[in-house]
Amino acid sequence: MILLTEDSSVLVIGGGVAGIQASLDLADRGFRVYLVEETPSIGGRMAQLDKTFPTLDCSICILAPKMIECFRHPNITLLTYSEVKDVSGSVGKFAVKIIRKPRFVDETKCTGCGTCTQKCPVVEPSEFDVLLGDRKAIYMPFPQAVPRIATIDKDNCLYFTRAVCKICQKLCQADAVDFEQKPQEITLNVSAIIVATGFDLLNPSVINEYGYQRYKNVITSLEFERLANASGPTGGHVTRLSDGRIPDKVAFIQCVGSRGLGRGVSYCSSACCMYATKEAILIKEHEPDSEVFIFYIDLRASGKGFQDFIDRAKENWGIQYIRGRPGEILEDPRTKDLIIFCEHTVSREVRELRVDMVVLCPAFVPKESNKKLSENLKIRLDEYGFFKNEDSMLAPVDTNVPGVFICGCCQGPKDIPESVAEASGAAARAVEVIALTARKEAQ
Amino acid sequence: MSSKIGRFPSGNPRTIKIQKELSKRSLDAEKLVYCYECGTCTAACPVVKVFPRHYNPRVFFEKASLDLEKVLTEAGLWLCAICYRCHKRCPHGLKLPEIFLSLREVAVEQGYLPDVPSKLEEILTILREEFPFPLVYSWLCLRPCEEESKRSKLDNLVLDVLQRSLADYKKKEVAPLPKVHREKLAIIGSGPAGLTAAWELVRMGFQVTIFEALPEPGGMLRVGIPEYRLPKEVLDVEIEYIRDLGVEIRTNTTIGKDLTFNSLLKEYKAIFIATGAHRSRTLHVEGEDIEGVVHALDLLHQANLQKRPRPGEKVGVVGGGNTAMDAARTALRLGAKEVNILYRRSREEMPANPLEVEEAERDGIKIHFLLTPRKILGKNKQVVAMECIRMRLGPPDESGRRRPIPIEGSEFTIELDTTILAIGESPDVSFLPEEVELTEQNTIVVDPLTLETSMSGVFAGGDVVSGPATVIEAIAAGKTAALSIDRYLREGGV
Repeated sequence: MILLTEDSSVLVIGGGVAGIQASLDLADRGFRVYLVEETPSIGGRMAQLDKTFPTLDCSICILAPKMIECFRHPNITLLTYSEVKDVSGSVGKFAVKIIRKPRFVDETKCTGCGTCTQKCPVVEPSEFDVLLGDRKAIYMPFPQAVPRIATIDKDNCLYFTRAVCKICQKLCQADAVDFEQKPQEITLNVSAIIVATGFDLLNPSVINEYGYQRYKNVITSLEFERLANASGPTGGHVTRLSDGRIPDKVAFIQCVGSRGLGRGVSYCSSACCMYATKEAILIKEHEPDSEVFIFYIDLRASGKGFQDFIDRAKENWGIQYIRGRPGEILEDPRTKDLIIFCEHTVSREVRELRVDMVVLCPAFVPKESNKKLSENLKIRLDEYGFFKNEDSMLAPVDTNVPGVFICGCCQGPKDIPESVAEASGAAARAVEVIALTARKEAQ
Repeated sequence: MSSKIGRFPSGNPRTIKIQKELSKRSLDAEKLVYCYECGTCTAACPVVKVFPRHYNPRVFFEKASLDLEKVLTEAGLWLCAICYRCHKRCPHGLKLPEIFLSLREVAVEQGYLPDVPSKLEEILTILREEFPFPLVYSWLCLRPCEEESKRSKLDNLVLDVLQRSLADYKKKEVAPLPKVHREKLAIIGSGPAGLTAAWELVRMGFQVTIFEALPEPGGMLRVGIPEYRLPKEVLDVEIEYIRDLGVEIRTNTTIGKDLTFNSLLKEYKAIFIATGAHRSRTLHVEGEDIEGVVHALDLLHQANLQKRPRPGEKVGVVGGGNTAMDAARTALRLGAKEVNILYRRSREEMPANPLEVEEAERDGIKIHFLLTPRKILGKNKQVVAMECIRMRLGPPDESGRRRPIPIEGSEFTIELDTTILAIGESPDVSFLPEEVELTEQNTIVVDPLTLETSMSGVFAGGDVVSGPATVIEAIAAGKTAALSIDRYLREGGV
């Protein structure tokens, strides 16, 4: 066991945009930061997105420099492929046990050249591409992954499953592949903890009438982002999963599992109106002749520049907004086209619309791991399973445990700007805690 | 919440009275404030497809909050078929059908509708414009109570009107409609989908022949729906009317046995397949073939043919759909002493119409959840007991409902002398040529908008496409098919 001690250090759990922002804020102010991420690379959900709203900037182009900065910052220690196991102590002196899962690649030796990932014979669906694309059993999740270190997927590697192959080891010029690596437990002493573990998307197959997983051309918005992305499984071509054809007509459906008291969740997922608008514009950018429809209940464009964005989508891009939540989607079994049954609630007409592709905007839901982490940190969850803040108005990033802060989507659905703002807020609150602890000790 | 009672306007003492009445009927009144008017209910509603001008549940519900008294006098209030499709899809699970049912009763009981009979006549006229069995439909959807002593004021008024209408029908002389087209059309199956399509097509001037395998026409309306919900006399009269209009119905004619599908293709310009879903699914457990195990459809069929099958004293019904409810209630009426329904998921996942469930329970039928049979035990080749296992619910399966998982070691035995299996029905499509494409569930693949199958000129609709569904959905399919066939014949394409 390695014991790291540091006087004024902060643990950030979760390496998405919120965790990255909080880490950089703290590190730039001279504090030591441990950034723990459970997957092999930092980047989180934002890294999976193609563009951001309302500016239509390339998502990874904004995020990647920040990711690299995290990696290079002298004050930040990246602990990727790691999980928080146990937390004890209190504000100013938390002791955190962290499990570093074995990558079976020596982090100090791997140069990220990628030879192993090219030659590995095992092809598996890529988690980063929401299972639409492939990766190898030794892999880097995406081209801009940070750190640029390969990871072996033990469950699918031929050496681990059948004791054969070892091609990666033979080809690695840096001699970094180490099949003997064991999980490593480290203990960190930190003054404050920031939780930024993000969210999951509801599996929309619970809204049975929309046919997700039954109909090939019904996809989720996150799947759409990967299809639209140049480094995604189709090289940036938004195509139908049934036949690879570029769709002429695409429909987006809002509030799939959000804002209901029955199936799904009762809250508004807050980002869908905007990202659906963005994705609709992306389709128009790719294929200007295509027709795009957005089925909504209410358009919630509450951020700065958001309403303008929707107006532009309507006027400049010709995106058709239809007020009404479809009651049923049927698939034409021969063409795999989809027929949407919807009431246009403004004109009170019930119409059928035949489209080539349907994109569902599922509810943001809490991560399943929240429960365990909340027990470890002794912080509360709200009625839905998100982390609960002390006071949503006056202490939005504080928890019931002094010194533990929450930011980003782990405490509720929100967009990127809000997540970043909360992250900076959480970093500032952590600095306060450290200063107070230092003063107390000085007295 | 009770002070607000949803979204209905307050102030007017009469309105307040209605509000109280509604909340007394425990209609999740506090949920009503959450309606976002998303339109899911209307988009999913099969009644809207048939009566687009008269009915829109969302608008109707919305109007109820603006001018409740006016709504009580509108025709739309009487059109809801109580199929619960809206409830299943509503983000908030609002029970619109029950709200409309209550509003109907309130309208009558509180005197908002002084002349109920003429209102009901008006409804029958609206129904008659769209399909040929307004009385059957009204009997099923207005649901007059079978037992005289339990009938409400509304039930009595409804029955009066329906019976008077029935008598008028019998007296009416109907002349056959002129045949303006030469084309002959075949319809396989004389259930609600087939009859509706035949009626539409005969009115367009086509020569229509319906082929029915059973001795009498009506399909599920005749053999699937119990007598206590629909007197057979009503069905007979309305089918007679369709016949009088010039539709030929050939009963006792099974396609694939008495006639081949290919011979139909030669003689008829277009074919509509509306054979329904009459094949009972099996449980695949030990002991399913012993004496005392019956399929729900067989029981209903026999009971409907007045054969009075004799179920035992202690009956167990396996399943949670409408057929299970019908079979259980029929068994009770045939003399069973105790009827238990076993369903493998919980009440929430039950596919049966909640109102049917409620009525079954009111009849004294007990419903046991999270149970499934493992083995049917017999003695001297007669059912004596059933071994069951308890279930728990796992994550949702592809139907969107939570998947039941057996709890090993929780087996127990229930004593009974009759087991009725009501675990779903599927279509029998063995008579179809290979060119007609089928799904994995053995239903027919059709274009959802035109109902054309993979074979040109052959259309299909109703349960044979959707799997077991409701009468109103079959009616909607029959109407769509008729329009598509007309377009196909006149324009050579759909």
